Amino acid sequence: MASNQDSNRPQNTRAIMSFLREHAPFSSMDDTHLAHFAEHASLRFFADGDVVLSPDDGVVKRFYVVKQGRIRGERHNEKEDRTETTFEISRGECFPLAAMIGERPTRTLHRADGDTFCLSIEQDAFITLFSESDPFRDFCLRGVSSLLDQVNQRIQSNAMASMGSSNSLDTPLERYALRNPIVCSPDLPVRKAVARMHENNVGSIIITDDNRHPTGIFTLRDLRTMIAEEKGPLDTPVRQVMTPDPCRLPADADAFEAAMLMAEHHFAHLCVVDDEQRLIGVVSERDLFALQRVDLVNLARTIGTATHLRTLVSLRSDVSRLVDAMLAHGADSGQVVKIITTLNDVTVRRVLELNLQKNDPGIPFTWLTFGSEGRQEQTLLTDQDNGILFRTPEGMTEDQVREKLLPFAQIVNKELAECGFTLCKGNIMASNPKLCLSNREWDDWFIRFIDASTPQNLVYSSIFLDMRAVFGPTEPLHELLEKVLARIRKNALFQKMLAGNALQRKPPLTMFRNFRYLNDEKKHALDLKRQGLAPFVEAVRVFALANGVETANTLERMEELAKKGVFDPKDANAWKEAYSLIQAIRMRAHQEMLERGEELTNYIDPDDLNPLDRRILRESFRQAQRLQQKLEVTYQL
Amino acid sequence: MLDYIKQWLERRRAGQIGEHDWDNLPTPKSAGDQLLSDSRLIVLDLETTGLNAAKDEVIAIGAVAISGGVIHLDDQFDLILRRPELDISETVLIHGIGPEALTQGHETEDALLYLLEWMNGDPVLAYHSAFDQKFLEKTLKAELGYTQHHLWIDVADLLPAFFPDAKTGGKGLDNWADLFGLEVSERHHAAADALATAELTLVALNKARKEDVKTLKDLNDKLRYHRRLQNMHRF
Repeated sequence: MASNQDSNRPQNTRAIMSFLREHAPFSSMDDTHLAHFAEHASLRFFADGDVVLSPDDGVVKRFYVVKQGRIRGERHNEKEDRTETTFEISRGECFPLAAMIGERPTRTLHRADGDTFCLSIEQDAFITLFSESDPFRDFCLRGVSSLLDQVNQRIQSNAMASMGSSNSLDTPLERYALRNPIVCSPDLPVRKAVARMHENNVGSIIITDDNRHPTGIFTLRDLRTMIAEEKGPLDTPVRQVMTPDPCRLPADADAFEAAMLMAEHHFAHLCVVDDEQRLIGVVSERDLFALQRVDLVNLARTIGTATHLRTLVSLRSDVSRLVDAMLAHGADSGQVVKIITTLNDVTVRRVLELNLQKNDPGIPFTWLTFGSEGRQEQTLLTDQDNGILFRTPEGMTEDQVREKLLPFAQIVNKELAECGFTLCKGNIMASNPKLCLSNREWDDWFIRFIDASTPQNLVYSSIFLDMRAVFGPTEPLHELLEKVLARIRKNALFQKMLAGNALQRKPPLTMFRNFRYLNDEKKHALDLKRQGLAPFVEAVRVFALANGVETANTLERMEELAKKGVFDPKDANAWKEAYSLIQAIRMRAHQEMLERGEELTNYIDPDDLNPLDRRILRESFRQAQRLQQKLEVTYQL
Repeated sequence: MLDYIKQWLERRRAGQIGEHDWDNLPTPKSAGDQLLSDSRLIVLDLETTGLNAAKDEVIAIGAVAISGGVIHLDDQFDLILRRPELDISETVLIHGIGPEALTQGHETEDALLYLLEWMNGDPVLAYHSAFDQKFLEKTLKAELGYTQHHLWIDVADLLPAFFPDAKTGGKGLDNWADLFGLEVSERHHAAADALATAELTLVALNKARKEDVKTLKDLNDKLRYHRRLQNMHRF
């Protein structure tokens, strides 16, 4: 019957219907509604540069779908007195949504970007569809941002399928069933404190002062240690055996922050406090991950206390499962890469600790990481990029120190490789004598690097500017970084060269905004890391270093730059979102490769993505182009 | 228009013959001072049994109307004529209309009267219009005795007149469609070809507006001038 009906429709109506069916929201609409659209549509042509819709046109009366070509939205930037493209609408996309629903003029000038055909319907047909078609109404009401929501929702629901839980890590802590916390005064004997815990069936008790400020925490684990190590009789006042200064978070912090704090310090409980630091509740790791099979805190603790390398190696598969779990719990890609980095840090520390127990070179050192690990942006596919910073003990030469440290570093690099941290092809590893340096040598290295860099060696060396200490004293690194940053801030030429270098990697879009593929051999491959993320990372690094932003994390750098007024807050948000979405698509690809037992790569074929993800990816790449344009303008390149 | 066709189909199924005002069929308009931005233009494509107007016949008519520089899809014409007596084996491969579809078509006389009324005497555009003009005029004369001449404009002339430097690599509809990246839903389907031709016409009309070609007469003059220029180059 349906096909019979369809063949009664004129050819051009059928053709428009099948065009619409390829795109959201039409893909989920009924045929009768699609036919209503097609039969009431008109087709307009706009040559490149023609105005399609202007704020001066008054209340919008017409709803458009791009049939061919592209529309760009223009906004006048008053600060810089130039026109900026605020959005792009390509084949199959609709406009204007907000103005149509709000029955008002559009606020953005819509201009044809290349020769463009648009299908449109008048207000009455729009109203008919709006009132009769649920998918159409939902789409219009949720507006443009729903595209991003849809992607995020899908990432979560995919991971959720294997998890079966819907707790969101964005949930503020105050929503996590903060029972009236069980408290006691510092002088209460341990016996009575434990009795109170038992009565209330909880695993911890908070010790508070007269103002209800938490001063300590006592848990069942503390009780076990106390008895096992015979620390004293059960009549001991609890303040003598409690853990003083318990970790605390404000009530509006979210579950993610709590989980990170717990993972980092291996706590199982956190105090939740109000503005005046008064205790209002306790959150336990079990509250956070009640339904989760792999839990972050426990995993971090298991890694951090593993006694053999092979235990560490076997725990790596749990990290991958945890990534699934985190995505399912609503963590965004920024959160997940931080979690992976946290767990990687714990692994690196443990490998170092185990080796120090076996074979201590006897010289204190700081273990440095560079690049993505330095930026806390690691995914499952990760290289080793590390080095050593040491202070030369008196009476020794630097080479003598290296003689002791290098064999140690070599073993650590090898064991890290066994744990899944691929050996760095460029030999950026602590066992490389050129990267196992004293504070003085590092400083010299950076002076040479900053003063005598060529654009070529910058390409390979800029990862050293994203540096972080993972193990050992952090003070030497802080001193080094301060000097380096001050030098870069003063050196405009170096900044300009860095900016030029950052522009080497163009986002993979052609002039016509189609995907530009890697090369002929990999005809349909995009490299999400080098082509997608690198343009953001590198451009943001230049702005961060030039403006004295110390953090190495790209998202945090963008936040700082927005706070300092270097980035427009709207731009910063768009760039953060674009960066996170590319990262999310990359991580999902990694999870899928892992599932299929394939080797992890950063390549994806955009044809494998659904149309929505393809659009998101294209729009994200376009944001990278805008960021690079800002770099070009700032440094006049 | 669709409702119009639907009603007509219903009447046809009920065995009625359409009623037409034979004495007041629309009179074709000439290329006068009417503004292009106000005019209604018919863009038409025919499928025929072959290329020889003396012996071949029209089997399908597809047309869309452009008003005010916009193609209104509620104003279109998409019909297969009822010509079961014709031998269509020769061209069936090109346009995909088999004998079965043909017998489901409409009484030629009736369909042509509707077409004339729908065209309303407005100028007719087609790609290589001489072909369509010859076939349509022959058919109108044979079936209805209608001999008035519409104003015909060849889109194959219109495009090079406004885009003299375009590198199309050929003079066909496909060449121009490719140049502007058009997607033709079903090539050699009269209505789909008519829509593609109409889309190209929109591109040309957009350019005309920018070159200050405002009236139907301006447009006709421009085409005549272009043709003369072409002929001069030929010698």
